[in-house]
Amino acid sequence: MKYLRKYPFLGPLVAVVVVYVIFAIVAPGSFTRAENLTTMAGQTVVVGIAASGMTLVMLLGGIDLSVGSNVALSTVVCALCMRAGAPAILAAAAAMASGLLSGLVNGALVTTLRITPFIVTLGTMRALRGLAKGLADEQKIDAPSSGLDALVAPLPPGYGWALFPPGVWIMLATSGLVAAMLVYTKGGRHIVAIGSNEATARLCGVRVERVKWLVYGLAGLFAGLAGVMEFSTLTVGDPTDSVGLELEVIAAVVIGGGSLAGGEGSVAGALFGALLMTVIRTGSTYLGIDNWVQDIVTGGIVVTAVALDRARRASETRR
Amino acid sequence: MFGRTLRFALTLVAALLLLSCNRSKDGGATKIAVIPKGTTHEFWKAVHAGAVKASREIGVEIVWKGPLAEDDLKGQIDVVQSFVAQGVSGIVLAPLNDKALEKPVEGAVKANIPVVIFDSDLAGSAHKSFVATDNLAAGRLAGEKLAALLGQKGKIAVLRYQEGSASTQKREEGFLEAIRKMPEIKIVSDNQYGGATTESAFEKAESLLAAQSAGSGGVDGVFCPNESTTFGMLLALRKAGLAGKIKFVGFDASEKLVGALRDGHVDALVVQDPFKIGYEAVRAMAEILAGKPVAPRIDTGAVVVDKASLDKPETKAIVAPDLAPWLGK
Repeated sequence: MKYLRKYPFLGPLVAVVVVYVIFAIVAPGSFTRAENLTTMAGQTVVVGIAASGMTLVMLLGGIDLSVGSNVALSTVVCALCMRAGAPAILAAAAAMASGLLSGLVNGALVTTLRITPFIVTLGTMRALRGLAKGLADEQKIDAPSSGLDALVAPLPPGYGWALFPPGVWIMLATSGLVAAMLVYTKGGRHIVAIGSNEATARLCGVRVERVKWLVYGLAGLFAGLAGVMEFSTLTVGDPTDSVGLELEVIAAVVIGGGSLAGGEGSVAGALFGALLMTVIRTGSTYLGIDNWVQDIVTGGIVVTAVALDRARRASETRR
Repeated sequence: MFGRTLRFALTLVAALLLLSCNRSKDGGATKIAVIPKGTTHEFWKAVHAGAVKASREIGVEIVWKGPLAEDDLKGQIDVVQSFVAQGVSGIVLAPLNDKALEKPVEGAVKANIPVVIFDSDLAGSAHKSFVATDNLAAGRLAGEKLAALLGQKGKIAVLRYQEGSASTQKREEGFLEAIRKMPEIKIVSDNQYGGATTESAFEKAESLLAAQSAGSGGVDGVFCPNESTTFGMLLALRKAGLAGKIKFVGFDASEKLVGALRDGHVDALVVQDPFKIGYEAVRAMAEILAGKPVAPRIDTGAVVVDKASLDKPETKAIVAPDLAPWLGK
């Protein structure tokens, strides 16, 4: 138990392994092919990257419902830049900048207007969606993908040594950086402190508003990066993309041990949470399970994961 | 406590490794993945039934799997990738977007999995065949019918479906092309999109009718290019008390739409043959897998159905095919 408390991501890790093994037994043999592993890793990238940002926001005790719209906006910005002839790296940077900007707006609204983050981001969710549709002229934008599509595509022959497509490594690197920031920097500990008890943190001299502002900005930046990955999958800029993505991202964080009340959460856990949902989705496809069953199973797993987590914590406090 | 958890995890990993050694690839049975745009529209149920019929006749296995949400592009790409990773024998796909699915289809072909596209076209030339209604011609049929209903003059509005959906855009194009040939018909609105669901189409239809003051004669006729927009428009017309007063040509036939046709709330429906689309697509894939040549373009036809022709047996077979023997529901 004490290990579980120290490493909260162990729970979701075990869940991923268990679910994987179940599918490996019941699904057709090709489920355990290496190709399927890389495909699943590739499909986890968007949610995985966005979940890093969401973990930070939820550690603060906040929430960001605008992630899905932000991702869609980034795919549009990315596609517009590519269509205008910008090189891939510049288009990606522009998409991330649009994400960062949206995140900073979220942060500014949360800290200055003192409205709960749920409402603020519920508003920006619609607003960013509208902005994306407006920018895209209510159409999907065709753009040359000139290289960006290689981010999450299966590795070309001869590059097998890389194991995973670059997008997966970028996801792992972002998660690693965020996790390190939480453990080793003062700012990271301030985030946890605010989420645990905002008033105390303020009394201890933590500049609460500034930390919040930056965290929402960072979450936006990650959403922008996730949008670049999304564009590389879609190869078009799609303003109607990722509707409901925010719920998947929140589910990943919660499965990974995050709490809506703040102060708790694990970047690695969120990554396993995201992976768990991909494994379920892929396994369902392999088994040919009806979509409605898949919806129910995913919903059930989110609730079960949280219930187990609460039970574990209750037993800890009783001790 | 943790020791036990760890041991459990290690056992699982070991079991997993053993499994991956044992189960390399299952050979034998031909397995065709059939990927629709969605699974909730009635249209797709008829396609599904047709696909099942073909699979039983030929003796192949089909897996029917669409994206979770009706219009989820990323979801559909994920499904295609998963089937490629699984190594199915062939993929039959109705792409949600004519460009975005190009890369995943190329990926399938690279992995030696042939692809047949059905219902909506795809850019590129990686797929072997395209099985669908000639949507441009079907749209023209709708335009000519609405023009005839209006006596070649009046004001009409179009509630479009969704950008990037090739099949419905072709229908809209064909419809507008036919209408523009009539100098006395004015198009008052053709830039509103109903979106993926009946709900969103209903809201758009309501505001479209209000904006064009349809209640006071601003619109004489409307056209919708698919099932969800047609049903959304029908609900909006009924709510506004305009059903039966405004000439209404829709697309596709569900039970509810056929009922509305009987009530006179819809004047005509252009009907594709979804059962035949599903049937022909799986057949084409089976021929490819058997090494036989198939035509690059297979047209499955469309007809105009109105109240008078509704009860003819040849219309019935298209409008309300008996799905129970195939879907078992």
